[in-house]
Amino acid sequence: MKRIVLRPDYCIGCRSCEAACRSRFKGEARIRHGEVTTDALLPQGCRHCEDPLCAAACPFQVIVKDPDTGVVRKSDFHCVGCRSCALACPFGVIPPLLMRHMSQKCTLCSDRPEGPRCVQTCPTGALQFTEDDRMPEKKAGVGFAVRSVHGRRVQ
Amino acid sequence: MTQPTRTTCPFCLNGCTSGVEFNGVVHQMHYFADAEVNKGRLCPRGNSANIVIDHRERLCRPLLDGRDSTWAEAEALVRAWRSEVKPEEIAIVYSRGRAADEVRRLHGLAEELGTPNLACGHIEPENWFNARLEGVRDATLADIEAAKSMLLVGDVFNTSPVASWRMLDARYSDRKNRVIVVDSVKTRQAGFAHFFLQVRPGTEPLALMALAALIDPGAAHGVDVDRYTELAGVKRQQLEAAADMLGPAVPGFVASAMHTGRVVHPSLHSLASQFVAKVAAKPFTGFRETGLPFGPTRFADLRRAMAEGRIKLLFWTGGLFPFSYAELLPETAKVEHLIATSIFSPDPPVRGLVLPMTAELERASVGRSYWGEVERSPLAAPLSGTRQFGQMVEWFGRAAEKPETVVKPSGVDDVLAMAARAAGIPPATGEWLLIGEKKAIGLRGFHDPEDEVSVNRADAARLGASAHSYLMIKSPTAEREFRVHLADAVPTGVLMIGTNVHANRCLFPLAADELTGEVTVAPAPVSVEKTARAPVAASENLTVWV
Repeated sequence: MKRIVLRPDYCIGCRSCEAACRSRFKGEARIRHGEVTTDALLPQGCRHCEDPLCAAACPFQVIVKDPDTGVVRKSDFHCVGCRSCALACPFGVIPPLLMRHMSQKCTLCSDRPEGPRCVQTCPTGALQFTEDDRMPEKKAGVGFAVRSVHGRRVQ
Repeated sequence: MTQPTRTTCPFCLNGCTSGVEFNGVVHQMHYFADAEVNKGRLCPRGNSANIVIDHRERLCRPLLDGRDSTWAEAEALVRAWRSEVKPEEIAIVYSRGRAADEVRRLHGLAEELGTPNLACGHIEPENWFNARLEGVRDATLADIEAAKSMLLVGDVFNTSPVASWRMLDARYSDRKNRVIVVDSVKTRQAGFAHFFLQVRPGTEPLALMALAALIDPGAAHGVDVDRYTELAGVKRQQLEAAADMLGPAVPGFVASAMHTGRVVHPSLHSLASQFVAKVAAKPFTGFRETGLPFGPTRFADLRRAMAEGRIKLLFWTGGLFPFSYAELLPETAKVEHLIATSIFSPDPPVRGLVLPMTAELERASVGRSYWGEVERSPLAAPLSGTRQFGQMVEWFGRAAEKPETVVKPSGVDDVLAMAARAAGIPPATGEWLLIGEKKAIGLRGFHDPEDEVSVNRADAARLGASAHSYLMIKSPTAEREFRVHLADAVPTGVLMIGTNVHANRCLFPLAADELTGEVTVAPAPVSVEKTARAPVAASENLTVWV
């Protein structure tokens, strides 16, 4: 599947990706930023895990992984805002939206054929939307993001 | 879904192509991947264009002393006030948001009214990139792409994030290429530098003049390199290494940016950056959000006229900083009739008449980007209740466009003399110095409340503060409580805050640049103390925009 990957050596921490997401969803960004060091702010978004813990934690099966595209989706209509997904996410990238008592979830901008807005708007091209097998780290079988949490393969 | 309208983003001078599409309910951004300058990429400001169009704080009806009024009442008032005062008692000020043709129209209006009081009220330091040094060429996109040696003064990346893409590509294209950054703060941009010169806040021009003297001692005659380096807090050997990288034989460019609350002498900052470009035989770009021509009257002189009660009617059009801050511009209290135009409701409310205007995104205009002429098309129909600039100008008089005065470029001797004078001015005293941080966060604090202050770890320990605890910062004009963000990038004795939100801007009193006498927003001496408020982790302190 295609994933969003970050080239840290191009990220200037401008938060344009967050602004694009926030702009589309009227203030509810699905991508967050965290400090890697005190002077390096990097974006953190949903990784659409192979075996998503958020889906497993959801008591109403509102979160499902699309078998065709690999996108992990959430139905806003059925979400009760229990925040289980936010607690379960090993990367801490599902922020609960307090005002509506719902959790926000990245869908890789499935509504637009050009791909995610955050990737297209990234000023420096630090964010890339690319196939799994094109990632050099994945090809080489090294660390990049193949991780398991509580015995589940998250990415 | 409507077809996306294609236009040039008005929020800075990079000239990015952007667009908005309307699905019948909300406006959404559209990214044009075929755009030459930005290839569909936009910064946070550009990405907030769609929310500006129907922002909940847009002003849709005239306000009179903070209460709703009508267009009929507003027009009658303007005409009545206009007839009450003599021409020399009228002052016109334009600031950010006014297009080039609108400024020319105001010049014509001032002539029609017979008032000499026409001033540029855009007092941000960046506007001093209008001051040019003779013999310095403007950089082009091709210069950036072919650069092997780059000198970045201030936080260029945060001023124009999209422009940084070509710089990073140039940096990575060859391992021998070099990036030099001169700044008082070790920003993220400095992390990309091969050579980072961290100077004392406000002393960038002195470091640059010393650098120029090391590149070409003949051109920078009279520059005392050792004294300038000592004042800037850098070592001569560091500058010598930087001078080697910037030799005239190496293709490259010099780029400079200035931030509110971080520059002491903006005119010299601009000219010293250009001076280095001149001696290193490189083109130059001054990165900024907007550039407005200076008016025939200086803003400092207009302030004095207001304070002395010589101005009875003030017409302020464009961004309301610092007009809407009574703390910063108390002279407006002496003016009988205040008229302003705004696209947002003033916060806090201001005295007098405020007229709702169309936003830059709702009208056509012609202007300049760093890379050449640009045209802007309306992204959306004007918001109901707003009016075009020309309609309001007509209430004052029928004015034709008149070209603004062209400022003569400065010569090398002027810059050397200014630097010598700046070196003799003692730095601001005080235990704590408040400086501004540039963040491209979008209009109206789009996605950042800027309630954090960056503090050096040693300073935080001295204050008894830890990460996410709270500090109260008090300046002569305002005070605000900030959450602590530990950042070793900030020098000792310095506190750094964002300058996009009103509450933070009020902490910086308007200062006079001793070199030009003009008004500027410089680093401010402040007092600071830890408050009793319990620390709150940033992740728990969610701000939700609805």
